[in-house]
Amino acid sequence: MAEILQYVHKDGFFHRLTPFTKILFIVVAAVMCVIATGIPFLLVMVAVLLLVAYISHLHRKLIQQLRLVLVMSVVFVVITVLTMPNGTTLGTLIPQGVPVIGGSIPVTDGAIVIGLVLALRFMVLIFAFQLFLISTQPRDLVHALDRLHMPVDYILMFIIALRFIPTLQIEGQRIHEAQLARGYNPGTGLLGKVRSVQPIVVPLVSNALLRSTVLGLTIDMRGYRTGTRTRVRERRFCTGDYILMGCLAIAAAGFTGIIFFAPGLVF
Amino acid sequence: MIELSEVSYTYPHAVQEALHRLSLVLEKGRCIMVTGPSGAGKTTLCLAACGILSHEYGGKKAGIVTINGKNVADYTGLSDIARTIGIVFDDAEAQMIFTTVEEEILSALEYRGLSPDEIERRLAAIMEVTYLSTLKDRSPHNLSGGQKQRVALAATIALGNDVLILDEPTAELDEHATRRIVSILANLRQQGKTLLIVEHKYDHFREIVDTLVVMEHGTIAAIGAPDEVLKDERIKKIVIPDFSGIRNGRSLTVQVAPAGTAAVPAIDIRHLSYSYGDVPALHDVTISIGAGEFVAIIGENGSGKTTLVRQFNRLLTPTTGDVIVNGRNTRDCTIAELARDVGLVFQNPDHMFFADTVRDEIVFGLVNLGIDNKDAIIDRALEEAGLLHTKTLYPRWLSRGERQRLAIACVVAMQPNIIVLDEPTTGLDGDEARLVMEILKKHQQKGHTVVVITHNRDIARYCADRIITMDEGCVVSDTRAQEQADG
Repeated sequence: MAEILQYVHKDGFFHRLTPFTKILFIVVAAVMCVIATGIPFLLVMVAVLLLVAYISHLHRKLIQQLRLVLVMSVVFVVITVLTMPNGTTLGTLIPQGVPVIGGSIPVTDGAIVIGLVLALRFMVLIFAFQLFLISTQPRDLVHALDRLHMPVDYILMFIIALRFIPTLQIEGQRIHEAQLARGYNPGTGLLGKVRSVQPIVVPLVSNALLRSTVLGLTIDMRGYRTGTRTRVRERRFCTGDYILMGCLAIAAAGFTGIIFFAPGLVF
Repeated sequence: MIELSEVSYTYPHAVQEALHRLSLVLEKGRCIMVTGPSGAGKTTLCLAACGILSHEYGGKKAGIVTINGKNVADYTGLSDIARTIGIVFDDAEAQMIFTTVEEEILSALEYRGLSPDEIERRLAAIMEVTYLSTLKDRSPHNLSGGQKQRVALAATIALGNDVLILDEPTAELDEHATRRIVSILANLRQQGKTLLIVEHKYDHFREIVDTLVVMEHGTIAAIGAPDEVLKDERIKKIVIPDFSGIRNGRSLTVQVAPAGTAAVPAIDIRHLSYSYGDVPALHDVTISIGAGEFVAIIGENGSGKTTLVRQFNRLLTPTTGDVIVNGRNTRDCTIAELARDVGLVFQNPDHMFFADTVRDEIVFGLVNLGIDNKDAIIDRALEEAGLLHTKTLYPRWLSRGERQRLAIACVVAMQPNIIVLDEPTTGLDGDEARLVMEILKKHQQKGHTVVVITHNRDIARYCADRIITMDEGCVVSDTRAQEQADG
């Protein structure tokens, strides 16, 4: 089973960075991709992210999510075609020959471009966030957010939400199998998914609630919420941090310059 | 160190008391083992002893709990109590917050006010004594049940508390993993730690137990030195499962062909191999199980037992080889079709319950298979499981033992001729475990083929006709039970 958004233990370039640098990386990438509307520029951003992932030996993990990203991209394009007709009409979704409704739902070039821009922005955000999560140990994140004076309850809530994704995946699979073994055949497709909700979601949620009680008690009994932490093995700024921060500064400055002097490159 | 005096407790919305005027003293350096039927109040006792009931739970409370002479209510909160007491719950997965083993233990140490050098020294020592050094970079979902339990224990030991409370720390573990946990606890006891252990496996823990407590109906039914307590035959049956006579009590109402001689075997496995991706799990397994046989499959965690039985109803399809069930190759059948022939009861009954009543839970399987005359079938299945009185209750309100029997009833009601059970006595006391095995024996006597996966060698020895032992995905022995008992 593919592990979604889970820390991968490696010793790559991105792993050695402090969470601060990685958070800055996400912020710069997010701001740039939200401002930019040019498809070539966004494609370059996606390529840069994949290059960083390759250098950090994490490209395989990013590519594992490609199916989800592509499905979402198609959804974005379809939604914009349906809801934001704009520019030249290239054709219609319903052929002219169909009686009464023939020729409706125009497919416009403007809508396709907007859909592609949304899809590429989504790709940049997902890849950047995933790079951050799979290369950052929750402990390092706790230390970083603690230094930013974020309340420990919120930090724990965030890391636990991520940590239990595979646990719930595995539990859901077991429950599904238990119901199949009782002759349950919800069918395939969307209707099958809807039918299988009660026999699978009810035990999954009930078990998760029980587990959350134990988890909460464990957090208290281990003293995570006392707030008096000894700083040990904290990640320090390394050469990689300074290199990436320098690159981010140059990218941000270059991006600002392009907006003013050559806007055609990003818009 | 801890004293409970006349403690009573009723959970919010519950009618019955979970604890009833219970008094117990846990002295420094002693090891108390608490056992008893499910629903007797053992976990509630743990929660009371470490102040969780007082600080985190509503409900009706009476009596006094003191830790080191101070009333638990006078502590500022659980973090305050946690300086003295550490607790390990039975659900190891829920106690793993971080993403690697070392991170989990290191994070626990960071909040104890120790110097960085002391943290590093203690981390290395704990990894060593809990046999986790080679697993330090593993993530929780890549650990076995026994490994997870050791991590939960290590993270709690790391806190350096004087008192440790453990709620069924070995419930789902095989003998090897259980022995490792016991040896860790024996080491802690030698260091002078005070231990309160809720367990069902007295045989494994007898070496380290000073006082044995047997609970029933929320109160203490027996307490004292183990030898004294076990002189009472009734109590002994609760503490130590006695499966003797179950196999010999066989009085067949249906003529069953001797093993291997049936014209069509119930399950015929031919050169079965199976891999999870690149990881081999079964290798060239060939077994024939005759109709009406009672077979026990034993082996350590990860030996391939569960992977093997999941092939019987095609939850898994062989990578190579074939599984023939009642003359039909599983490759040619759907899971729903095979559910008529093979009923599989999973290790954790809570993976299947979703209905509002016990009756509806059984109806689910009958509707799936289109079986009529439901009420008569439901009543019979519940009666056989001793659960007729629970018909209108919410399944999750039942005790662990009752839920286990309900899981069996749900499957039996579907009238499969092969019943397969994965660790059916997990978390049950001696009486409940025997009851479950007697129910299964009765089904065998009616002509069903019964296959049980178990870590408990006594179940294999005293209940099964045949014992298949697995190791690293292979069948390493296949013997008649009597031969093995004699051997």
